[in-house]
Amino acid sequence: MAEKILLKGNEVMVEAALAAGCRFFAGYPITPQNEVPEYMSYRMPESGGVFIQAESEIAAINMMFGASAAGVRCMTSSSSPGISLKQEGISYIAAGELPCVIANIQRGGPGLGNIRAAQGDYFQAVKGGGHGDYRLIVIAPGTCQEMYDLTMKAFDYADLYRNPVLILGDGILGQMAEPVERNEYVPLCEMPEKDYVLDGCKGREPRVIKTLKLESNQALIDHNIHLQAKYAKIEEELCLLEEYRTDDAEVVVTAYGIAGRIAKGAVNMARDKGLKVGLLRPMTLWPFPEAAFERLADKVRKFLVVEMSCGQYIEDVRLATKCSKVVEFLGMGGGWYPTPENILEKIEAVY
Amino acid sequence: MPNLQEMAKKDSAFSSGHRMCAGCPVPIFTKMLTRVTDFDIVVGSATGCLEVASSIFPYSAWKVPWIHTAFENVSAMMSGVEALDKVNRKKNKSDKKIKCIATGGDGGTYDIGIQSLSAAMERGHDLLYICYDNGAYMNTGIQRSGATPLGAATTTSPVGSVIAGKQQQRKDLTRIMIAHHIPYVAQASIHNPIDLSNKIKKGIEIDGPAFINILCPCIPGWRIAPNMAVESARLGVDTCFWPLYEVEDQKFKINYTPKEKLPVTDWLFTQGRFRHLKDDKWSHLVEDFQTRVDEQWDWLLACQTKTE
Repeated sequence: MAEKILLKGNEVMVEAALAAGCRFFAGYPITPQNEVPEYMSYRMPESGGVFIQAESEIAAINMMFGASAAGVRCMTSSSSPGISLKQEGISYIAAGELPCVIANIQRGGPGLGNIRAAQGDYFQAVKGGGHGDYRLIVIAPGTCQEMYDLTMKAFDYADLYRNPVLILGDGILGQMAEPVERNEYVPLCEMPEKDYVLDGCKGREPRVIKTLKLESNQALIDHNIHLQAKYAKIEEELCLLEEYRTDDAEVVVTAYGIAGRIAKGAVNMARDKGLKVGLLRPMTLWPFPEAAFERLADKVRKFLVVEMSCGQYIEDVRLATKCSKVVEFLGMGGGWYPTPENILEKIEAVY
Repeated sequence: MPNLQEMAKKDSAFSSGHRMCAGCPVPIFTKMLTRVTDFDIVVGSATGCLEVASSIFPYSAWKVPWIHTAFENVSAMMSGVEALDKVNRKKNKSDKKIKCIATGGDGGTYDIGIQSLSAAMERGHDLLYICYDNGAYMNTGIQRSGATPLGAATTTSPVGSVIAGKQQQRKDLTRIMIAHHIPYVAQASIHNPIDLSNKIKKGIEIDGPAFINILCPCIPGWRIAPNMAVESARLGVDTCFWPLYEVEDQKFKINYTPKEKLPVTDWLFTQGRFRHLKDDKWSHLVEDFQTRVDEQWDWLLACQTKTE
């Protein structure tokens, strides 16, 4: 068994990033993600990498553009308002097809909001966020162990698809500490050669990475066609989820991240009461696990969506199930989170 | 010159019951805002200690109209307020001039807010910007900023065996603001209320943009005892780390000259964040620190002579 470490979720993410070969981090203070830059500020130099505290979130995300174009595995992190500031840069990075990992340790919104855990940035994460037609690969860990394992995978997905990957966490996941097995980093597959990086063109043809496409009217259309083909490929290949006690379930509770973990407790309580309830917890939010929802929609009576936002995730559940089954809702924004008892009560009410 | 006793009888813009840390000196200046002037004021605050600790919903410590938006744009927001007041008076919707004040910590001013600050000053809004400089992002847990002095330990400039805290010198924002050629720029400290209130009064009442940079020691961030804020600020001034001066229409005036200019170590070594610098291993950093302070003081003396 791998060595166990006891760290906060934010710090676990740093350890995983370093294990996966991340050697450039740029960040900016915002609660509840401060442990990421703080821990990085001494762990990154120890690992021989570069830590920079930027002057703003905008600067930090644009440092990703630079570092990624130079070929290094790189990461930035923030929390909801800071992620909003990063959106312009994220659009550019997606357009330039530059791999990088961005962590959003979500807090209550909108506006400055508060510093409690929330999931209100779902739309921003999975539907684009910045301008133009682009997608982020969105990963939603539900435990500190998943923070560790999925962060390592995030770097692989980023390189494999030349695409930014967003880790969608929240204040609870970032702040709670639990034992984590420090699993060895093993690449998912052989990583493609980075034949696009700008590392000096001596002895080869110069390369260009740019997002302004004015060569012809067709140039940007072609780039969009190329991007959409890539996104279609990712949708075909990438899907992570946990299905729990769904075999004979009549009602399936679905939630992601920390809400999914709380829902799991509620599912167990419902089972103890003899209710046939299961859980579907996506760990990739884009691509969305549509196939799993379609399959379950054929056999269950109802879905119950639980989210720490006012009804964002539920839209994708309705789309994936083609509204063929009733989708009940338990959710609220602004830093609200459910207890297993809250969810159980809702399950009993709608069962 | 305002009389402090008389001043204290006037209503304060800032009530007790706010949630600043015990011993935090920031309220010293917020309490002065309405006491130094008869103008009606509107205050805007950038995200930071003062904003958070004075406005935890549903309470507010502000007894004047107060507004907050994001971290990077208090100057832009207050530009809007000021422009609206100007237009209201032009269209005879209001006959009373209000004065606009923006506040920000050093993170929100030196770093993320400098763009909107610079632009507001350049456009010439009748706006006083007050930066309470405590030398790091204290609200989020002591991360280094552009104002953090050389060698200071913060959570993102930690001290180890190879690196002794922040490796860069702080930027001199007051000088950057002087370069904007605005009517009034001043540097003040919370330990000297007469000088501070004079400057705030001038900054509010002067027609056009004004900027005041106030040294505000931070109890947890500087790792000093809660009763040490005033003393710590005084030492900052007596060592000439933080000279008290003002620049009115490009005319320099040093408001306080220490009888005996103390070595910077008198200031550094009374703070936990510089504790490691006592080690001889880092004596070159202390020397660099002293050199920078000396250069700055010499520059200031020269500017004063030149513009006399």
